[in-house]
Amino acid sequence: MAIPELKIPDGWEGRAPGGWDWQPLWEAVEKGHHDFTSEFVQNSIDKDIDPRTILDDGLFPGFNLQGDRFSEQLIFIPEMLITARAMKAGLALIRPLLAAKAEKPLGNFVIGTVLGDMHDIGQSIVTIMLENAGFKITNLGTDVHPDKFIEAAREEKADLIGFSALLSTTVYYQKVTIEEITKAGVRDKMKILIGGAPTTQEWADEIGADGWGKDAIAAVKLAQALIQEKREAWA
Amino acid sequence: MKELKPRDRFIRALRHEKVDRVPRLFRMKREAKEKIARIFGITESETGLGHQPQLELRMGNDAIIYQIGINSEFSHHPIEIGETWVSPFDVSYGKSGLEGRSEEEHKQFMKTQEYWGPAKVVPENFPSAHPISSMEDLKNYTWPDPADPRLLDPIKSLCEEYQDDYFIMVDLSSTLIEAAYAHIVGTQKFFLFTFDQPELINGVLDGLMEYYTELGKNVVDLGVDMIRVGDDVGAQQSMMLSPEMWRELAKPRFEYMFQEYKKKNADLFIKFHSCGDYSPIIPDIIELGADLSGLMQPTGGNKDQKGIKKKYGEDIAFIGGLDVQNLLPRGSVEEVRAGVLNVMKNLGTGGGYVFSPAHYILADVAIQNVWAMYEAVNDYGVYGKYPLD
Repeated sequence: MAIPELKIPDGWEGRAPGGWDWQPLWEAVEKGHHDFTSEFVQNSIDKDIDPRTILDDGLFPGFNLQGDRFSEQLIFIPEMLITARAMKAGLALIRPLLAAKAEKPLGNFVIGTVLGDMHDIGQSIVTIMLENAGFKITNLGTDVHPDKFIEAAREEKADLIGFSALLSTTVYYQKVTIEEITKAGVRDKMKILIGGAPTTQEWADEIGADGWGKDAIAAVKLAQALIQEKREAWA
Repeated sequence: MKELKPRDRFIRALRHEKVDRVPRLFRMKREAKEKIARIFGITESETGLGHQPQLELRMGNDAIIYQIGINSEFSHHPIEIGETWVSPFDVSYGKSGLEGRSEEEHKQFMKTQEYWGPAKVVPENFPSAHPISSMEDLKNYTWPDPADPRLLDPIKSLCEEYQDDYFIMVDLSSTLIEAAYAHIVGTQKFFLFTFDQPELINGVLDGLMEYYTELGKNVVDLGVDMIRVGDDVGAQQSMMLSPEMWRELAKPRFEYMFQEYKKKNADLFIKFHSCGDYSPIIPDIIELGADLSGLMQPTGGNKDQKGIKKKYGEDIAFIGGLDVQNLLPRGSVEEVRAGVLNVMKNLGTGGGYVFSPAHYILADVAIQNVWAMYEAVNDYGVYGKYPLD
């Protein structure tokens, strides 16, 4: 097991004012200090640092470090949650600036827990991580009927869609939802991801999903890969 | 070896002594139990606080497990879709969905209840609102009565009726961390509060500890053989919280509870249960003096059953280990048999083991798989015969 390390962005000095130091922000995100993160990000904005630079050089290093540690089971849900919250606080200040610069989200992602299933802790962690990674998320919550997934996908012109299920009795609805999406004629317009405790790669293959994420970090990596793949355009 | 009384078999297995066959403990959720009971021609199949053990005993259970506490209050309570039901713990519950389910789908579901096929989707009760999210809430919160005869009287009757022959286990789940995150506080808030408001988390956990200490002591007074605490801290890939945090928040509280129970009855057996992967804290559970641990969910981090048995098998007895996430609901009859054989080899060898699926049997399990498991346990769970020779 490789011990994850902080990956310091190459050449960050060239993108920051003289004497600037991101170290406090990296640490704040790593330790989940959301108030300090907000203040630091606001200060960076006030200093006219490019929002993309704040995101890449300032916020992501601490966040990615904790993500890697989470994957390696060195930290757990509480630590990951507070880091995600800090990241979200910083992102809230930056997102309007990115939008003003016409920086598009990485893609539209519709997510929800399938019909019959009320579990949402895993799904909400995945949602925060995907948001932080730059996707525009529409979270339909829990107990979502296939028709609702289809409706939201149409409305959002979804690039990706994800179904969570925690129970062996509800994973069946991942299959049904994919069948319904196919029947509605929109299957090839988006990539389908599934996840949840009883799910496996074999199950994903069997029901015709495009990918399976074993945890939140894997889900983000998968989304980043799938968004590159070809899809039919929405009308 | 001559045939043992179920009660003696169970106790001997807990003490790692020789037994004739592996003791067993099947547990079923309502929908599954109703179907399986029909095969055995048994009409008494109530679950939850009205638990009737006839089917489980017919399937060869050596112990009677009766659940009280936060889980039993909600999980078997009849709740209509769209209804909100408030439990004695002031937690609100609803029914998971199927609100959008078509009439055709509903008919399909009812059919699976009438015949032997696996149900596709089973409605579940689920917490929809949690009573405590501030110190103010905690101050105004009243814990239920731990001497409530509604909870204790049925245990008394079970002991009177069955304890001569069977081992009596009372399940107090969800007990501590799980009770706090899943019911009293809410999951996301609970985990954030461990950093933001540790005094609130400590207050909630203290309240639970005191309630379950008193409730458990009253149960021990009734003469039961075992107290089971159930506290899910394992996720599929790892623990939900770090072992260090568990040692800080849960371990001392369990230590206190177990000591208080043992003061009432020094011979009391204790079981610690968690779903998911809790392998990092098995040494702590041993240190706390638990006699039995499970349910050894094999699809998460407890995959290496042989290794865990080798490492800890002398110090604690294990229960469970048969996969209920994929194998039991989706495997073939042959695969289920092979699965039971495998678990017997891994955990049954050398004794100190109680067979059980890694959780309740749910309605998504086809009857032929239940039967295959039952037969395989009869075939492979006998000491002195393959694979336990």
